Amino acid sequence: MTEERDSQLSAMFDGELPGAECELLARRLSRDEALRAQWSRFSMIGAALRAERGVALHDRVSQRVQTAIAKEAAYGDGADTGATSSQPVPATPVSVKTASNARWARLMRPVAGASIAAGVAALSIMWMRTDVGGPDPMLASTSAEASAAESIVLTPEAAPSTLASNTPGASRAPSNGEPDVYVTPAPSTSPGIAPPARLANYVVAHSEYSGPLSRRMALLGLVAADSENATPEQAGSAQANDNADAATGAADAP
Amino acid sequence: MLPDLGRSLELRGTRLRRHKASRVAVFTLLMSAGVAFGAEPKEWLARMNHALTSQNYVGVFTHVQGGRVETLRIIHRVRGRDVSERLVSLDGSGREFIREGNELICYFPDRREVLVERRAPDGLLLGALPAIDEDNSSVYEIKGGERQRLLGRDTRLVALQPRDQYRYGYRLWIDEKTAMPLKTQLCNQSGDVIEQIVFSNIDLPERISDSQFKPQVDASTYRWFRADRQVADNSAQSDWGATRLPPGFRMAQRSAQAMPGSSEPVAHLVFTDGVASVSVFVEPRKADLKPTEGPSRVGSSSAFSTVVDGHQVTAVGEVPPTTVEFFAKQVKASKTQQPAPAMGLAPQRK
Repeated sequence: MTEERDSQLSAMFDGELPGAECELLARRLSRDEALRAQWSRFSMIGAALRAERGVALHDRVSQRVQTAIAKEAAYGDGADTGATSSQPVPATPVSVKTASNARWARLMRPVAGASIAAGVAALSIMWMRTDVGGPDPMLASTSAEASAAESIVLTPEAAPSTLASNTPGASRAPSNGEPDVYVTPAPSTSPGIAPPARLANYVVAHSEYSGPLSRRMALLGLVAADSENATPEQAGSAQANDNADAATGAADAP
Repeated sequence: MLPDLGRSLELRGTRLRRHKASRVAVFTLLMSAGVAFGAEPKEWLARMNHALTSQNYVGVFTHVQGGRVETLRIIHRVRGRDVSERLVSLDGSGREFIREGNELICYFPDRREVLVERRAPDGLLLGALPAIDEDNSSVYEIKGGERQRLLGRDTRLVALQPRDQYRYGYRLWIDEKTAMPLKTQLCNQSGDVIEQIVFSNIDLPERISDSQFKPQVDASTYRWFRADRQVADNSAQSDWGATRLPPGFRMAQRSAQAMPGSSEPVAHLVFTDGVASVSVFVEPRKADLKPTEGPSRVGSSSAFSTVVDGHQVTAVGEVPPTTVEFFAKQVKASKTQQPAPAMGLAPQRK
């Protein structure tokens, strides 16, 4: 039932709820606290939208609907159709039709306006949900939502598939274990960096001199493709070295 | 009685829809007027550059290249003149790139290696935005600017199209409100997509804490390599230059830097056409290593290696393979000053 009412509310917001149902829902809004709360959530979403899109339209819509609800509440005292909250909204109750044309139009006008941003509103719900956590600092693993001053809500396209191979050794302890000792720079006999890795070094060095777009592209190339380039024997030897060096904590190379 | 009622409701519904449609149209007009009236594609590019470099953002995007798909998070923070950026692979390799101050730290958990790249303190990276100006308008054509709906947002599609085969082009879907590129395609001259980035979400937080620039791996047992950039004080190294350049390219920087795996500083020449850039690395060839020659690729970066006068020369860039080959083959050691590529160059010799 709640779900149904939510979808009615959302349809009303979209301007797609049939007139009579809209009328009923408006009355119910005046009575039903939970529903009002839901409505104000929609309004908040409107506020989020407004902040995002720089248009005050939505809030005005919300206010007008609120006004309509207030008036509706006044009317509602006498002319309740008797539909209790547990009952599904009946299809076009005849009694509503004649008396409520003006009210219905009054109510519907702003709602139609609201529909302008409705597509985005649905998305904003997603935004609201992700933002509920508040300004919790992002933990390194999953949540990317910091205290967002502004959020670009995007409709999810195709879910990204994850093709990259699962490589071992990626322990996720949150620590930057930068040692005091560097390999500066490794001598030519160093077994660590072989030609494919050297190419990676070049790309990294090069990326520092690219524009913002191409720089990112260059680094992205490293994220994915370099693992293909690394030959198995190289990976193997690096692994072996690491195991040997792990005890000393710092890096290596004679 | 009842059928009549039904029809009247329906009619009313139709009127409503018409009403609604007209409101949408008015709204759209207003938005156009306020946000983007008269904005040229060039202006959108400028806005995008500004947005990418001057504000905080946190986003997740997918990167598609050569049949591979990778999901990454980017965290970008601007504090005055300090720019920090973290790029994290969310799949598989767990690789990360963290740039803070003038250091770029690359974590390769799969290789258990960390590479630290240091930029010259006077590196003008922040100011060195790609720009379309009189110099390179002959090699790129900027098109588009029309509105396109993407991911539920209004965007402007701007195409940066190469006029020759020496460089790639970009197709950018730039968010109208924030000027962030929600979708980016790297294309060749015939318009084939080589690489694509699509954001699935972007936040523009006012503040991003330092903790978000910590790597997710414990790298204390990894091998750390440091590549310190040096002022080029080796005259033999810094006399490298290109004899000929593709149209629109000029030399932007010449330096020498320490590189992991190299006992001597490596000469690093940077060429740019304002959008694309190519680096050429020159280092003395080691007798015990067999020379690297021919083309290779890292992602969409092309590379070409060759040996010139006993030196290993490698050209790297986000350009077509033929372009890096061109550069690699044009680089020569010279005792005399090379006048051709010297535009805007501040030679860093002793």
